This record gives sequence, C-alpha cells and structure tokens, in this order.
Amino acid sequence: MPMPSLSRWTMSYFAAALGCLLAAEGLAMLGIGYPAAGMSEPATLMLVHLVAIGWLSLAMAGALLQFVPVLAARPLASPYLALPTLMSLVAGLLLLCAGFATLAGWADVPLGLLPLGGLSLLGGLLLLVVMLCRTLAGLRRLDPFAGIIRGGLACLALTALGGAAFSTILSGRGGALGAFGTLLPGGLPFHALLGFGGWLGLIAFGVSYRLFAMFMIAPEPSGGRMNLLVTAAGMGLVLAAAGLGAPTVGLDGGSGLVATVSLLLALATGFYGRDMLTLYRSRRRKALEVNMLASLPAFAALGFGIGALPIALIAGAGEGFVAAASFLLVFGWLGGLTLAQLTKIVPFLTWLEAYAPRIGKGPAPRVGELLAARRPLVWFALYYGGTVLGSGALACGATLGFRLAMTLALAGTAGIAAEFVRVRRLSQVKAADRPPPHERPRLLLARADERSLSHDDPPRTQPHIRHARSPRC
Amino acid sequence: MTTPRGPNPTSGTPGPLDVDVRPLLRAGDDPFQAIMEATSELAAGQSLRLIAPFRPVPLLSVMANRGFAASESALGDGDWEVLFSPVAAEPEEGLALGSSPAAIFWGEPAMELDLSNLDPPEPMVRILEALEELRPGEVLFALLAREPVFLFRELAKRQHEWAGNFDSAGIVYRLLVRHGGGARGHG
Repeated sequence: MPMPSLSRWTMSYFAAALGCLLAAEGLAMLGIGYPAAGMSEPATLMLVHLVAIGWLSLAMAGALLQFVPVLAARPLASPYLALPTLMSLVAGLLLLCAGFATLAGWADVPLGLLPLGGLSLLGGLLLLVVMLCRTLAGLRRLDPFAGIIRGGLACLALTALGGAAFSTILSGRGGALGAFGTLLPGGLPFHALLGFGGWLGLIAFGVSYRLFAMFMIAPEPSGGRMNLLVTAAGMGLVLAAAGLGAPTVGLDGGSGLVATVSLLLALATGFYGRDMLTLYRSRRRKALEVNMLASLPAFAALGFGIGALPIALIAGAGEGFVAAASFLLVFGWLGGLTLAQLTKIVPFLTWLEAYAPRIGKGPAPRVGELLAARRPLVWFALYYGGTVLGSGALACGATLGFRLAMTLALAGTAGIAAEFVRVRRLSQVKAADRPPPHERPRLLLARADERSLSHDDPPRTQPHIRHARSPRC
Repeated sequence: MTTPRGPNPTSGTPGPLDVDVRPLLRAGDDPFQAIMEATSELAAGQSLRLIAPFRPVPLLSVMANRGFAASESALGDGDWEVLFSPVAAEPEEGLALGSSPAAIFWGEPAMELDLSNLDPPEPMVRILEALEELRPGEVLFALLAREPVFLFRELAKRQHEWAGNFDSAGIVYRLLVRHGGGARGHG
C-alpha cells in the first residue's frame, strides 16, 4: 500500500540551499552586488539569484518534496525525479552565475551559457512542478492548502519562463524570441514579485497554516479563513502575471501596477498575520520551541517589510528604501522563517530515520533532544541582528555598514548550519542512545530502505492467520 | 486443485476462483496453506469458491478477518460449498491509506489512548510502545489530532494492521490498531 515516507533527497536540497546562502552572504560581505553595484547590474543579479533560487527555492523544494506528500497523505509522485531536479537546478544556477560573471567582466565564458542556465533552471523547476502537481492530483476534495500550493507553482512556472526569456535577452539573442524579446526591463519587477511573492511567499503562507498548527498543537484554521488571503494574493499575482506579459503587446505595467500588486500582497499578509496570531494564541503547547521562537522576528520583518514596500513605491522614495524593504522581506521573513523551521524539520526527519524503527525496543531520545537547546538562539540573534542592520544600512546607502551587517548574518548562518550537521550526526544524543554506526543517518541523504516500503506493497502476510487453526479442527 | 473461471461478462471482475480441498483431505494433507495461498492470489474484487467435505466453521472467522463475507450451501453427501466474497476491495471513503477492510470484525479494544494533545512524533511513540505491551490479536484504540502518516509505515513494517479516519467534524482522528503478532525485536 503506497504511503508517504522519508524523502530521500530532501537533506541534499537543504545542504545545497545552505551552501548558496553562505556563498551569497560571503559575496555580500566582500562588497559584491548592491549597494556597491547598481540594483540591476550583473553582480547584484548574481547575488539575488543565489538567494532566490539557490537558497530559498532549493530549501522550499526540499521541504515540499517531504511535506506535500505528508499533508496530502499520498506518496510522492515520480520520486525518481527528485535527484535530476536538484542537479538541473544547481547546474542551471551555476551557468546563470557564470553568465552574470561574464556580463560583470569577471570571467570570460561564452554568453550562450546564460540562456542554457535559464533553460536548465526552467527544466528543473518544471520537473518539480510535475512531481508536486501529480502528488496533489490524488486529493479527492478541493483543499485550500492544495489550491495555495498549485497557485504558488503556477507563479513559479511563470517566473521561470520569464527568467529563461530574460537570460536569452541578456545573452544578446533576444531577437530570436519575437515579441518576448521585449520583456526586459519592463517585466523585471513582476518577475521578482511572482518569484518572491507568488512562489516563495504564497507557499510559505500556505505551509504555515498546516505546519504551525501541527508544531504548536493548535486547531487548524478553517478553509474559509484562508479564502480571504487567497483572494487578495490571487488578485495581486494575476496582475503581476499581466505585468510580466504586458511588454509583449507593447504595454508597460509601470510603477503604478507594481505598487498595486504590492498593496494586494500586503492585504493578503494582513489576513495571514491575523490567522498566525490566532494560531499562536490558541496553541495547546504553551512552551515555544526554537523553531517557533525564531520565527517571531521573521513575522515582524514581514510586517515591517510588506508595510513599507507599497509606501516606498507609492511615495516614490529612493531606491534605497525599496531595497531595504525588499531585503527585510527576503532575508528577514523568507530567509529567517526557512532557517527557523529547518531547526524543527531537520531534527524531525533525522529522528524518524534513526529512531522510528527503534521505538518500543529500547531508549530513544525525544526529537527536541537532537538539537542543542540554547546555542541556536545565539546564532539566530546574530542572523536577525545582521538582517536588521543590513536593512538599515541599505535605507541609508551605507555600503560599508551593509558589509559589516552581512558579516554578522554570515556568522549566524554558519552557526545554524553547523547545528544541522550536529543534528545529522546525532552529536547531541548520549553515545549509548545512538543507533549502531551502520544505521545512523547519513549527512546528505535519507537511507534507501525507507523508500522501498513506500512504493511497494506492505507484506501481504497477515501474521495472525498463521496462528489460526486448520479448518479441519 | 484451484480452477480460475473466466471473467464475469457483465462486470469485468474475474469470476470466482474455485478451490476444491477434497482431494487434499483424502490424501491426508492440511488444506489450510493452500486456501491461504489461493486467497492471496485473488484479484481485486474476486471471490473464492471453496468446496470441502464438511462445513469449514473455523475458516469462516479466519476469512472474515481478511475481509471476506461467506455464503454457504450444502451440496449433499456431507460436502459444502462456501463462496467467500470480499466485503470491500478498497478502503471506505475517508479511511486512511492501508486501512484493513477487516477492521469491522475486530474485537473490543484492549487499550484506549487519548493522544490528541501531543505533537508529532509523540503519538507515534506512544502507540508503538503500547503495542509492545499488547498480545497478538489485541486491538488498541487511539484519538489523535491528525493523521499519523509516518506511523502507518512503521505499523506496516512491524506487520500490525490498522484502520483510521477523522470524525465527522474532521477534528479528531480515530485509529484502531490490531497487533499483528510478528516482528518483535526487529524493525
């Protein structure tokens, strides 16, 4: 009987994601990209894509491959695509970065690699969409959670298509695209809104409803409450999609449309914030664990960032303010929330792998005991401290201040990543309570025996029948 | 000894699989294993027609546990024909993946646990630990806050059976687990 199981490659996705975040923070610390370079210069684009695709999208993809099957109570469809997807995304990102490095004049590789990178990313993301949509297709009833995931994946597809077109245009081959060769620069802000707001933001919203209710033992908000969020975000994202495509018919969405989309996303965020507050207040687990404590600054960053972004856009505030609000949303909200939730997800999956087969057969630690109790909070203080200072430095245009702030964030991220390595190695667990070495989790991938059970029938033998008497008796 | 019949022309479901255990019994062999093997070879929805030189009373409850309803008729000369039809080839709407269709025949639970105030994986830990206390065939009933998807995998590995679904309000998850009797000491 098929049933959800441990996703084999999720840890590899997380490791690649953390590697990209550390790389991006390291480059920012060295003064590469905005604010030392212009907002749409190749150096900045390289950093933005390392964060958006390398860090946030890979982490999100890894988490979805594990939790969409769990939340849909269905096994992952086409699980064999998980590794090709990861390889395609990483290869695409590297090619894209090589292309940006050439455009920035740091390297001399053929610019044809840029659209090749865009295509490789598009291919990887489409494979991801196929796996997740086929998994959700098994759901019988219309589920608001499934709706949000599908909406987010649609935004991902549009973002990736737009990105592939952009990379072709930047390589000087835009003429081959016909009307789509006009997508830059008018489509750029909508590409960012669809990627950060639709794919990453909307899905982070949807997943929060399910996972936080589970982590805090709170009643799950009704589907009706999610409808307001879905309506506001849906309207915003449809407008963003229109804005992305507008240049192909000779129109320009312009800053007015960008501001409208961000206002609608801010409205959706208001509904989300209200529901998250209800979840925190109605929780039955009173003591907050590290993942929920460390998510609190992320919610604050979301509130400040999404409140400030439309104001900065409408008031025509300088580029620095828009950059500061965007940075707060990307590093504070999406990045902070992802890092915080990984402190629950990594120990949880590691525990399932190492200890689920041993329950009832000897002592097993609790999931929380796999992660150090206090140290992660110090790393989060460094990460969020760096993020807040960095946002302030961007608003003031303080280039050196931003580099110093990114040094803090880098130290915090490195600390958190080291904690994950300790979790995978069961370093926090008493030596006597660790499984024998050949049964311990590997650092980067879940053990294959977990997989076999999920896609084969369980043992057909029903042991109680073996003890039954012969019909002759 | 077993004779498959052609498909039923109206429904497309294969016709009943015939198992005549009279030759085996005449030869002094125990037909139980042969019946179980034939049962495990049935296609989804397919029935099993058993012909025996007596009324196979104990087999009726064994087959009931495997989700088959029996209709029997005397053939004369002491022979009996029993048609075992699957009660539900697929789990009922809303029942968890892998739920045993035989759950309606299980006895009263030997243990009841309210785990609705625990977050994952604690309900899984409590249930697997409790199963170590139970004897084969005993049933455990648990209330949970959500569907324990990772538990199902572990139950299957340990060869326990289960059936679960949400209550009508969709708030409390109700789970029955029947101790399968095997797999102690390995996982």
